Amino acid sequence: MRAFIVIATSAIMVFAMATWVLAQETQTPATVDAAAGLPEWEKIYAVFSHPRCANCHVEDDHPRWSGAHYGKTRFHAFNVQRGIDGSGLGNPGLRCMTCHFETNSAVLHGPPGAENWHLAPAEMVWFGKSSGEICAQIKDPARNGGRTLAEVAEHVRSDKLVGWGWSPGPGREPAPGSAEETYQAIEKWAAAGAPCP
Amino acid sequence: MSKCTKRKLRGRLWTTTKGIPMHLIVDGKPIDIEADPEMPLLWALRDLAGKTGPKFGCGIAACGACTVHMDGTPVRSCILPLREVQGEITTIEGISTDGKLHPVQQAWLEEQVAQCGYCQAGQIMSAVALLDEIDNPSDEDIDNAMGGNLCRCGTYPRIRAAIKKAAALKTAGI
Repeated sequence: MRAFIVIATSAIMVFAMATWVLAQETQTPATVDAAAGLPEWEKIYAVFSHPRCANCHVEDDHPRWSGAHYGKTRFHAFNVQRGIDGSGLGNPGLRCMTCHFETNSAVLHGPPGAENWHLAPAEMVWFGKSSGEICAQIKDPARNGGRTLAEVAEHVRSDKLVGWGWSPGPGREPAPGSAEETYQAIEKWAAAGAPCP
Repeated sequence: MSKCTKRKLRGRLWTTTKGIPMHLIVDGKPIDIEADPEMPLLWALRDLAGKTGPKFGCGIAACGACTVHMDGTPVRSCILPLREVQGEITTIEGISTDGKLHPVQQAWLEEQVAQCGYCQAGQIMSAVALLDEIDNPSDEDIDNAMGGNLCRCGTYPRIRAAIKKAAALKTAGI
């Protein structure tokens, strides 16, 4: 019986390792075409590093405010934070969805809105990070929500909160391009071996 | 609504005679109104439902005076359009039960929190939401929960004391 358990455990571990290796291979093709991939990455980086995206992809607990009306980038007012449970949904008594509903406020400086408004997990940090750092993060399943690059692309194209970045409401500069263009850029970048700068 | 009511929100007029029928549950009671789906909930509460407890302060969710609960979650009713209202609304007028004040209201009285009082309905609703999730909040918990409720009279120390007293009252079942 003991021998059977040892063999079974070994088999499971080998299978898990093979699955992990396969997953890594799907993240990065064997050949890398930097000439084709890096220009696509620059389009992606322009989006990910834009304040409409990066202001809520922070490493600490504070979403950021920035834009023409704010001077320099600052912490979100009202002591808004990630939340003591780490959920990204805010704190008891002051959740993100206390002010951020499913659509943008039509009033200048009114709260923007999209479905499921929340901070990105801290490991998905983009705010203040270099192009190379963001590139490494987005390829790392341990830090991108366990996604393949195809799933990252689809997430960017279809998620309502991500899509808000291109229609952020009055007085806010949208992220460059569009969700579809960014999806295409990620697909091309991945096909080129997902090179990082 | 036969009466034509107009209120101004940062340049917009809400005319209640051009609305569509809607059904709300406010403070446990069904209320049928006719209103523009873009009308903020606060207008419907105050002008159509007669709930004048929630107050208009800033109109951009920056002061918290209009705070009510939607299915238990605090929301700023001054910028929540009626088309997005999903769930039961509770105002400051609906938190007492059987004529007995909510522990937060009782604590507010005992600590004599209010000065001008204008923001207090919103303050109390945020405090109720906090105590619904954290039985015995720390100073940090209170600061985290109440940061979106501004008081120009500066009653913050008494607000903090009242929340702690309310927690004790609630725990004691009072």
